[in-house]
Amino acid sequence: MARRADEEYDYLFKVVLIGDSGVGKSNLLSRFTRNEFCLESKSTIGVEFATRTLQVEGKTIKAQIWDTAGQERYRAITSAYYRGALGALLVYDVTKPTTFENVSRWLKELRDHADSNIVIMLIGNKTDLKHLRGVATEDAQSYAEKEGLSFIETSALEAINVEKAFQTILGEIYRIISKKTLSSDEPAPTSIKEGKTLVVEGSEANTKKPCCSST
Amino acid sequence: MISPAPVEVLKVEGEGDSRFIELRGVQWRIHLGILPCSASVDELRRVTADARRRYAGVRRRLLVDPQFLKDENNSPDRVMDNPLSQNPDSMWGRFFRNAELEKMVDQDLSRLYPEHGSYFQTPACQGILRRILLLWCLRHPEYGYRQGKYIINMQSHEWMHELLAPLLYVLHVDVRRLSEVRKVYEHHYNDNFDDLSFPESDLVLNYKSLKVATEIEDGNSFQRNEAKISSLNELGPEIQTIVLLTDAYGAEGELGILPSERFIEHDAYCMFDALMGGASGAVAMAEFFTPSPSIGSHTGLPPVIEASSALYHLLSLVDSSLHSHLVELGVEPQYFALRWFRVLFGREFLLEDLLSIWDEIFASDNCKLSLGAEDEESNVGVLQSPRGAFISAMAVSMLLHLRSSLLATENATSCLQRLLNFPENADVKKLIEKAKSLQSLALETSVCCPDPSPVGAFDRSKSKTARGHSLSSGSISPTTPLNLIPESYWEKKWRVLHKEEEVQRGSTGKARRHPGKRHCQREQLGSEDDFEKEEYYGLVLRRILSVKRLSAHTGSEENSRTSSSSSTMLSSRANDLENDLERSSVASSSSADENDVEPDKEELCVGMHKDPDLPVSDTISDTSDKSSADTIGKQLVGTKERKLLSGKFQWLWKFGKGGEGTFERGGNTEASRSSSIGNSQKIVPVSSTLDGCGTLPGDTADRNVMGTLKNIGQSMLENIQVIESVLQQERNQVGSVENLSKSVLVGKGQVKAVAALKELRKISNILSEM
Repeated sequence: MARRADEEYDYLFKVVLIGDSGVGKSNLLSRFTRNEFCLESKSTIGVEFATRTLQVEGKTIKAQIWDTAGQERYRAITSAYYRGALGALLVYDVTKPTTFENVSRWLKELRDHADSNIVIMLIGNKTDLKHLRGVATEDAQSYAEKEGLSFIETSALEAINVEKAFQTILGEIYRIISKKTLSSDEPAPTSIKEGKTLVVEGSEANTKKPCCSST
Repeated sequence: MISPAPVEVLKVEGEGDSRFIELRGVQWRIHLGILPCSASVDELRRVTADARRRYAGVRRRLLVDPQFLKDENNSPDRVMDNPLSQNPDSMWGRFFRNAELEKMVDQDLSRLYPEHGSYFQTPACQGILRRILLLWCLRHPEYGYRQGKYIINMQSHEWMHELLAPLLYVLHVDVRRLSEVRKVYEHHYNDNFDDLSFPESDLVLNYKSLKVATEIEDGNSFQRNEAKISSLNELGPEIQTIVLLTDAYGAEGELGILPSERFIEHDAYCMFDALMGGASGAVAMAEFFTPSPSIGSHTGLPPVIEASSALYHLLSLVDSSLHSHLVELGVEPQYFALRWFRVLFGREFLLEDLLSIWDEIFASDNCKLSLGAEDEESNVGVLQSPRGAFISAMAVSMLLHLRSSLLATENATSCLQRLLNFPENADVKKLIEKAKSLQSLALETSVCCPDPSPVGAFDRSKSKTARGHSLSSGSISPTTPLNLIPESYWEKKWRVLHKEEEVQRGSTGKARRHPGKRHCQREQLGSEDDFEKEEYYGLVLRRILSVKRLSAHTGSEENSRTSSSSSTMLSSRANDLENDLERSSVASSSSADENDVEPDKEELCVGMHKDPDLPVSDTISDTSDKSSADTIGKQLVGTKERKLLSGKFQWLWKFGKGGEGTFERGGNTEASRSSSIGNSQKIVPVSSTLDGCGTLPGDTADRNVMGTLKNIGQSMLENIQVIESVLQQERNQVGSVENLSKSVLVGKGQVKAVAALKELRKISNILSEM
């Protein structure tokens, strides 16, 4: 029960991981939330998620990261998956050009299902496999610029840039949220600090209704 | 040590062939429809041999051996069959395509069952798995390839190997078992005639491979110097069967040897194919992999989603409070059930446990059921067989196992987190037992109500026949109009079932006397004194009790309102502490409400009293029941009917082994939580005592008053503990100094609640000391 530290936070941000099957989404998640990496992790079925509380720009943020099977095409799942997501990590495998080619497909998926203001970050994973690289950093960089995404290359195996990637996207989300909060007629900033009430809880808050009812 | 997987599974009912109780692989093949049931050994061997031949043929046709390609003389048409050929149907095209698919299959295989890595990671085993998956995907392009193009579709075969691996493992265990038997009864395999021993080379090849396997198993506890048994007939029937099944001279010779190391691959393919295709039954695992609705499904939902909603429907009947809790949190069933169903619970249990679950799944018949009313289209076609019902019931059983833990969650996230991390130490036997007890209900609701007349009123004729593997074409009513209006489907279903319930009430009235008899004991225990005492009950329990008192005083009409009011309580939720308390009490009150339905009472009484000879006065309960069932107000219809169903379930339940309390308690991980399960059950006696306050207390009953009060006190104590633990949790969660407003709010509620709890404790102490 003594999860005290875990339960105190200023904001709760939901972030989804998307990208082709086998690009290392689950391992990015486990590296970030548990600092674990498993070479033989089983492929995800349906959804999985994990949380981690961390400091971003002086605020305690509880990040709720959702991970889904790269090939999950069930609308009843996807709609719930994207609902309330404030950020998306779009992952490809730097050793597999096809996974990079599919990035545009995933962007379309995001546009169809997620909130239009969602913060998207492009992640090229598996940089540890240097000799197998198939996607040049510059190509991805310029693509990201063209699409207005932030970009980073990571290695979940070597724990390179994973922390930074999440820090960056959570920071971006925070900046957007706090801007929103300021612009809206919120009372005194002290009450903002009261935390929980202001939590950007993803679940029901979203105005965008899925086009089909899932029940 | 003897057998890696002791097949001590609960005996399979009905068609289960006890001859093969030790050979799970054979048993499963019979259940999966590959081998005929109750056939002679020769027949089994023949069917097996045929299946193996078929597989060998398919493998020869579809898998391209690169060695073969190198030998250019073998290629009949060099224009078409060269490595640069663009023709996808050329040998080389096939070869490259296969190689690509193979690569992906390999990726999945390396992730297989790390705990059994020693077996699954062997090159031989990986090769078998790979070939089977490859062949299956090649034979079922709709699952393996994107239509039209030869681009591999990642969609579906990702987890197929998790369905295949247990099958292979079971066959492997069979072979090991066989080698043990062979070791002990070696002389039965020897060709000794009149002291003339044939050289070993005369024996069939298979014997050698078995010998190798035998040698590996050195730690065997079988004694070689066992008393010599001269004739086969002196062996036990089971050993006899094994010897016959493995006799190389039997029907089909070596090809007919049933558990055979050489043909594990062939056999596993047959099993996998049957499992995926469903062998013309309702549950075809492959359907759980498709995102498109099954043919004929009027819901337009993918099968796995349909199955998920069927699971929730069953849950709503079995445990409406848990169901509504999940629904309120927004936890849709597919979030977790997708994984449960797709690999048939393979991710939630260890392999050994999984095998016993699969034993039960396969033992349940997979014939599509459509009792009489074919037009009754259910939206759960995938699970419309006893097997499907069991799968659904198993899932509900798992949910019930987590019940208290789930009820304690306040948001979808934490709830899902618990659902997605099913405790590994769960008692599988109990889960299975529970699932079995729910199976008939699941079947009943998934198929259709056996009473055809009300069903006719809600004709929903279907194109179900189009669903490919329909065995039930005989019972189709082609005249019924096609009606695709999906509105209020379940409401209708409830109504139908409700009617049935009433019918049952009428017809089985006599049979119920017995439960009624018991019930009255408790009725007599209630007295006005109890009510006075209750005045002290804190704000928590007062809610339930007032509801109950109402019903006791004002009779049947109020009764129905009572149940509805409690379910409105269920559905109205806020996030503050008081509500939290309410929630836990609501859970209790809702099951107390199920008291309205008589069978439930019986179950409870059984738990409460041991003394069978007590005065009878079941009239009150009977009439109130009937009238409550009859006088449901319009706006109450839905709720009430649900209640009735819950009651009905309770009635079914008693046929299952083990009461809810014990079951859930035993399997629970957290002590504090487990008490809250007991909670919902235990509270019932409290309120039902009040139910019968009007009845005269009899002499015999007096003797039991003390015991009952003690019990009440005991159960109150338990309930208090639950509430306290919830409070504790809440406190931990909002311990932050920063969350001032929240803490203040919480603080107020908590002070009240704590005070109330203290009072309650006093009362319950008094009670239990009586």
